Amino acid sequence: MVNLFKRMRKLKTMLEVRAGTGAAIFPTLATASKEFPAVTRLHLTYAQKIYGGHQGARHFWRNCLPRLKYHNPGVRMTVQQTEDQAGPAALTIYFAERVSSTASAVAGKTQVTDKHAPAPEASEKTAVVDLKNLTWEEIWSRVQASTGAEDVPVSEADQEEAKKLKAISEKAVGDRERIKAMRQAKKDQERMLAEARGEVEKLKTA
Amino acid sequence: MSSYGTALPSAARGILSSCRLSLSEKSMTPALSIFQQVRGFKNNAQKGKGKKKEVKTDRKGPREFRQKNLKDMEQFALCDAMRYIRAMEVGRESTVTKYEIHIRMRTRKDGPVIRNMIRFPHAVQTESRICVICPPGSKQAKDAIAAGAVLVGEDEVFEAIKAGKIEFDRCLAHPDSLPALNKAALGRVLGPRGLMPSVKTGTVVEDVASRVEDLRGGTVYRERDAVIRLPIGQLGFSPDQLRDNLRTTIESIKKDAAGLNDRINKEIYEVVLSSTHGSGFSLNGEFKTDSSPETSALTGV
Repeated sequence: MVNLFKRMRKLKTMLEVRAGTGAAIFPTLATASKEFPAVTRLHLTYAQKIYGGHQGARHFWRNCLPRLKYHNPGVRMTVQQTEDQAGPAALTIYFAERVSSTASAVAGKTQVTDKHAPAPEASEKTAVVDLKNLTWEEIWSRVQASTGAEDVPVSEADQEEAKKLKAISEKAVGDRERIKAMRQAKKDQERMLAEARGEVEKLKTA
Repeated sequence: MSSYGTALPSAARGILSSCRLSLSEKSMTPALSIFQQVRGFKNNAQKGKGKKKEVKTDRKGPREFRQKNLKDMEQFALCDAMRYIRAMEVGRESTVTKYEIHIRMRTRKDGPVIRNMIRFPHAVQTESRICVICPPGSKQAKDAIAAGAVLVGEDEVFEAIKAGKIEFDRCLAHPDSLPALNKAALGRVLGPRGLMPSVKTGTVVEDVASRVEDLRGGTVYRERDAVIRLPIGQLGFSPDQLRDNLRTTIESIKKDAAGLNDRINKEIYEVVLSSTHGSGFSLNGEFKTDSSPETSALTGV
């Protein structure tokens, strides 16, 4: 099995799952307000390649969805990658009972239909956000505005941790240079010796 | 030794020490020649280190796999680990993505390894279709169908395979049908697919029915470099299902370890839960902590 310390360093990706853009809690049934009803499900559809404005949607899946899933483990999230570049890049948000007032405003004038999204249940209402040609940060701000998700504050321990990891990665740049120089020096010397030995051989045979 | 050293003058001491060195070498001549080569070879760059070279290290190294102290490793309760893994695997197909378990053993580098098959209370693999080659109408054929084999028979199966219709993932054979199977010369068709039954792979068995059952819910595992790795659940499993599977696995491995030779001592040292795309979380044996979410939230997609 891989070295313990390597594994521990790798495990620090946890921190990225806990904190960052998208680390927010959706309103649940208990915390739903009049303005923002509870979010029950999310569904994301985008196409395989990035042209046609599908890039942001995929980055949203890569960057934001893990954090959302971590902080809202009960909210079901599905992703469908299609091969249809002309098809929609859309995020369907399923609300319990009714759609939030801001969601319809955010969804705005362009109405998209996403045929891959699962059909809402009787008690669910959906709002579809068009994601084409948006960056993932823009998508996140739209999602946050339409659902009223509250950001989770980064704990002090996590901030410390992040600082430590950043310091390590900064130090790694210098270390890498140093080791590279050392290895090069060793290689140079070996080559020099090999050449010298070759000349001795030549003299012997001559 | 030291008493000699103090009694003699310094020059003699030097001689003595050189004698001691050459005597301590096991085989004198080759060691000496190597020594001389080294001096000519690396010339003066390593003059200071010259003495160190002569000390022979144990070439075999430690007999046991090295065990790091787990005190430094952060460990998780099952539900917490699942929460992280589910976050890392978000948006993946929940039947395709699997939870995996890595069980690190405390064991010697040589000696027997654990190798066995296990049936989980909650099947991990999605249905695999099994073909059984045995005389049609026999008792084995009926049992095999009852156990869930898709295709049973002799000649009609061969016909289908020759026609290129291979609608199964595993293939078993009964020893009675082995001559017929060899006569049909299907090795060229089934061999490359890894489907050809043979005694060596354990796919030619007397008790076909129980083997079919094993294959349908069974997973083969083996120890490699002191680690046993196997998938133990789909991403959609609930924490309770995963716990049941995990418990079965660990019990079965403990039984295997106990069943080995008396002198061989194997024990479980670390259990790591990971997934198809996620990172590995060392488990601490707890089921859940106060901060972990409801088990219902950790089920499904």
